Amino acid sequence: MEKQTEVGSAVRIFYALVTLVVSAVVAFFVYQNVSTPDAKYPFKLGLDLSGGSHLVYEADVTGVDTAEIPELMDVLRLVIERRVNIFGVSEPIVQVESSSVVSGERKERLVVELPGITDVGEAVAEIGRTPLLEFKLVDEQALAAEQVLAGLSSDGGDGVKVTAVGGGEAYTDTGLTGRYLQNAQLQFVGQGGGGLSNEAVVAITWNEEGAALFEKITGENVGKPLAIFLDGELISSPNINERISGGQAVISGGFTPDEARDLAQNLSFGALPLPISLESTQTIGATLGGEILDNGVKAGVAGFILVVAFMVLWYRLPGLVAVAALGTYVVVMLALFQLIPVVLTAAGLAGFILTIGMAVDANVLVFERMKEELREGKTMREAARIGFQRAWSAIRDGNVTSLLSAIVLFWFGTSMVKGFALVFGIGVLVSMLSALLVTRTLLLALPDRGKSDGLLGKLYDSGFGK
Amino acid sequence: MKIIQFKEIYLAIGVFVMVASVAVVLIFGLKPGIDFTGGSLMEVSYGVLPDKSTVEASLSALDLGGFSLRESGDAEGRRAYMLRTRDLSEPERVAVEEVMVAAGTDAEVERFTSVGPVIGSELASKAKWAVGAVAGIIVIYIAFAFLGVRWPVGSSVYGAITIISLAHDVLVPTALMALMGHFLGAEVDVLFVMALLAVLGYSVNDTIVIFDRVRENIAKYRHEHKKTVSAPGGIKRDEVTYSFNRPFGQIVGLSVEESLLRSINTSLTTGLALLAVYLFGGEVTKNFALVLLAGVAAGAYSSIFFASPLLVWYAEWKERRSKVSI
Repeated sequence: MEKQTEVGSAVRIFYALVTLVVSAVVAFFVYQNVSTPDAKYPFKLGLDLSGGSHLVYEADVTGVDTAEIPELMDVLRLVIERRVNIFGVSEPIVQVESSSVVSGERKERLVVELPGITDVGEAVAEIGRTPLLEFKLVDEQALAAEQVLAGLSSDGGDGVKVTAVGGGEAYTDTGLTGRYLQNAQLQFVGQGGGGLSNEAVVAITWNEEGAALFEKITGENVGKPLAIFLDGELISSPNINERISGGQAVISGGFTPDEARDLAQNLSFGALPLPISLESTQTIGATLGGEILDNGVKAGVAGFILVVAFMVLWYRLPGLVAVAALGTYVVVMLALFQLIPVVLTAAGLAGFILTIGMAVDANVLVFERMKEELREGKTMREAARIGFQRAWSAIRDGNVTSLLSAIVLFWFGTSMVKGFALVFGIGVLVSMLSALLVTRTLLLALPDRGKSDGLLGKLYDSGFGK
Repeated sequence: MKIIQFKEIYLAIGVFVMVASVAVVLIFGLKPGIDFTGGSLMEVSYGVLPDKSTVEASLSALDLGGFSLRESGDAEGRRAYMLRTRDLSEPERVAVEEVMVAAGTDAEVERFTSVGPVIGSELASKAKWAVGAVAGIIVIYIAFAFLGVRWPVGSSVYGAITIISLAHDVLVPTALMALMGHFLGAEVDVLFVMALLAVLGYSVNDTIVIFDRVRENIAKYRHEHKKTVSAPGGIKRDEVTYSFNRPFGQIVGLSVEESLLRSINTSLTTGLALLAVYLFGGEVTKNFALVLLAGVAAGAYSSIFFASPLLVWYAEWKERRSKVSI
């Protein structure tokens, strides 16, 4: 009997150490991601913290078949995404947002987020501009030279500056643009007689003017590639096999069906598939965003210290255990923010700090139960075990309702609300985990004594010492 | 603590607070922000703050309709103006920005927000749905979780009482918001709705913990009596009746006392965290923290001094009516 208990406590202490080590590793992971400049999982800051622009466009879908709307919105997203990429913003977000059922009339929106861009005028102009589909001839020599130059200058760390001398532009305008395109669609053509190896191609139909121009260009440049640019970006460079008359052309280039479909869409919808109008704008300057972030962090640290001070003063040794659990809670949450990743906003930070206050609740429930058991003369360990058992139904019911409200919040969501709901919901789950795993493991690893035993007994007393 | 003994007093206080809150909201009304009404908001900070009337005069030259210009919190020691207008189109925004920047030295546009009226009203209807949905789901969950407790009051009563407490906890911060709107110009924004929803989730937790104790103590002190009775027609069935060895009020009172420290301590730690947000979290989340603090305080009161007394009051009222002794 005696021996068994000793083995038991060795195992318990081992578990407790494992728990602490795991928490420390998670903490190190979080720290690494913050301190290393090119970390794989940095914190993602929302626009209100990093500064940037948030634009909401409404797409006009009147007269469009409901079934076609999702596809058109997707094309719209692709087109806008390409325009946004021109800014060279690090991580722009372009997403479709359909209004939910509850709001009555169905609205299709496009949300554009541009971190770091605070000149909203420039952004709006760029997004709203008419796109350009261009066909250009390729000077292969100049292109090759350009590539060599690019290679040289990229590893020219020795200070030697390489400048292009002579040589023409790699691409020359042909005057043929998307203005002349009637439509483009995905087709499959058989190669030779083999019916199985169908190749995906894009079939283009020109209007009359375009057909004439196209015939002239292809006639003069047989055997050369013709580059197709959309918004200044090279999307494909098929070879001209022969003079093409009759206003039909086929672009083949070893496309996968998906690639060919995208290209066909890009070509037909060189213009936006749906008219859009700017509905709401939000711009936050980088200084203001930085200040909000600083304040949020300050508040978080202060909140943590206040809660820790309260727990230790009131519950003493178990309080210290709760603090370890709370520390685990904080690092696990931060690690999840980095891994998922959760976009952190001012509201999300406030929500996180709120959950720091709520996270100790499960501990408080258990400790109060433990005190009751101790009063009835049980030993520390027995009291801890029964305390956890008794408190479970309250912890469960309380947390389930909190979780339900988080889910509704998430569903309610504009992006800002969603961020808060996500933080709140994850917080509820992780806090349960930290209380049930960390607190429990650590409490059970503490030496087992009766309440009145000297110093240790005092350490277990609460502030009232009831 | 004689919470159950003086239940009428505590209930009266709770009801008074609720009525007063409703009155405050009705009298002063809530001031909806541009999140809900649509409109624009531009904050411009200056090296040297220009004279307010000059800026207003040059803004009046533009055709903006009504606008309000107020000095706002300083970003990094700089002083700034916050301009509110109807929602602006892109060319209008450019014009306004030019005027604002030209008004003072070293001007910087700190933020600009413009919300169309449609998106605003959509958000408002969404917010109402969300609050309703949370409340509905909570009642259903509680009625379900307390299904085993049929006597002396049914499980739906616990759900109903929780909802009344929730109304109390949401009304108090809403009234605070109405007061702040009237006297300090605070506007109801999305953050406020989020705070209310968080209050819903938090305060129901508080009430549930006490009801959980009641549930446990009912099972502990309840005696079950089973007897087989013959119904007319010769069919026999078991009839189960219960009795307590002490009044129901005492059992609830005991439950409240047992969970009192926990309720207070959890409210305190949550309150401390919110206090930190209020003091250090900056302008953006200040009202958010304050609304939540009010909600947490109201939640602490309602779960200790309102929900449980109401439970006893209802049980006793039911007993008097049916004249069957518990």
